[in-house]
Amino acid sequence: MTKAGENIWYNKLMKTLKLWRTFKEGWLNFRRNGWLSFATVSILTLSLFIVALSLLIGLTTHYVLGSMRDKVTVSVSFNPDVPEERILEIRDELARYKKEIASVEYVSREDALSSFLAESGNDPIIAQAVAEIGENPLLSSVVIKAVQPDQYEVIVGQIERSTFQSDISRINYAKNKKIFDRLDKINSVTRQFGLILGSAFVFIAVLITFNTIRITIYSHRQEFEIMRLVGASNTYVRMPFVFEGIFYGVAAALVTTASLSIVAHFISPITEGALPQGNFMGLYQQFFFFIFFGILLLGVLLGVISSSIAIRRYLKV
Amino acid sequence: MADKQPIIRFENVTKTYENEVSVLTNINLVIYPGEFLSLVGASGVGKSTLLKLIYAEEIPTEGEVYFNERPISKINRKHLPYFRRNIGTVFQDFKLLPQKTAFENVAYALEVDGRSEEDINAEVPEILDIVGLATKMDKFPHQLSGGEQQRVSLARALIHRPKVIIADEPTGNLDPTSSNEIINLLLEINSFGTTVILATHNKGVVDKLGKRVIFMNGGKIAHDESRGKYMVQ
Repeated sequence: MTKAGENIWYNKLMKTLKLWRTFKEGWLNFRRNGWLSFATVSILTLSLFIVALSLLIGLTTHYVLGSMRDKVTVSVSFNPDVPEERILEIRDELARYKKEIASVEYVSREDALSSFLAESGNDPIIAQAVAEIGENPLLSSVVIKAVQPDQYEVIVGQIERSTFQSDISRINYAKNKKIFDRLDKINSVTRQFGLILGSAFVFIAVLITFNTIRITIYSHRQEFEIMRLVGASNTYVRMPFVFEGIFYGVAAALVTTASLSIVAHFISPITEGALPQGNFMGLYQQFFFFIFFGILLLGVLLGVISSSIAIRRYLKV
Repeated sequence: MADKQPIIRFENVTKTYENEVSVLTNINLVIYPGEFLSLVGASGVGKSTLLKLIYAEEIPTEGEVYFNERPISKINRKHLPYFRRNIGTVFQDFKLLPQKTAFENVAYALEVDGRSEEDINAEVPEILDIVGLATKMDKFPHQLSGGEQQRVSLARALIHRPKVIIADEPTGNLDPTSSNEIINLLLEINSFGTTVILATHNKGVVDKLGKRVIFMNGGKIAHDESRGKYMVQ
């Protein structure tokens, strides 16, 4: 082998050896600075926890509002003299608009009455009152569920201008529109509020973490001089602290995930049924990998960047 | 000695700090390999600054310091760590890494050089044995006495087999017994051919040595005697 070739291999070997040594060095620092590492990881954990929690709260509101909207339908009631066949015909026609309408369901007068009685908790007084009337006071209807909630306006407009317009007694849209508008408003307000609050938390978290790591590095400042004095290059001095930053990030991400899981476990029963995922645990599990890798990345980045910036001023000669 | 090339040479060196106070004024000094040189004088007289110019912690404002006849100020920043391996340093405050054991403190100097684990495991115990710490290799600095810490520091300074040992007040924090041990170790190192430069306040130490003494006063060399004693003006 030529001398030049040997040198390249030698240099590569040397770099790997030194990288491994700085890694070990970082791990040793992390372990031996027990108290300081504990404090730094705690602060970083708190930051990550706040960030992850605001994200989860945002997701929860989003899904809760979404599932509330999903439960909203529009029902079109027909005049009592319209025969059942005609209503079924109309239903089938509506069902053809698959782009806008997710489902159309026919509810006969008898069905309407029995579900009304069921909803009133089979109260004998109400049942008696209905019996007194002698005749079923309720109308037949079709219950429409739109693909997208914002399509109701178009669908209702179409029905009002259709050929069977004269058969229709009433459409309960106006009442629903109010609910939709309110839900939309809550959704957009919470989203904006969550975004502002979330960003503020992220900013504070970054600031706190950066300062904590700066203090950690500051407590080591005399060692940098010693290291350089005994022949360490700036990179060799810096690398262990970069690795230490990575360890902070990983440790904090693990602790955060554990704490979030505990929180999810206790919050879950309250949220039963309010979410499409069943409960909060379901939502947490669905986004688990996204959240875990997100905070892992955020934690490691925060640790590494803070360490690198903080150490720079001590390495300037 | 005239036929030998100096190991360190100061040529018209002046060092001025930002506040424009001259710490060193027009220093001319020649040190030959194998010398044991004591640098004496009151505090703030410029002893430490003179030493810093040798291990390139400071750069002269005027003039030049040569190491083996090469100008130190011309050394590339990147090559500074390599240059420093030629010079072992010992300080009053030991400058040990608090998170590392005696063994690890010494090993660190070899690790940064990219030396193999076998070399490190062979050489570090050997050098710690020379300074008399074979049984305390796994102790952390805070578990060692001042004298022992200074011996760890000396072992670290020796590990690269440097041509020059610079000791800046190495006995400043030590009791007389420990001081003597350190000075004896420095003499032993010197007897193997290593140049030793010792800055000190300790009159007793200097008087006993009977080696070259440079007395500094007001940023200048006031006296330079080949077999000197500590003097006060």
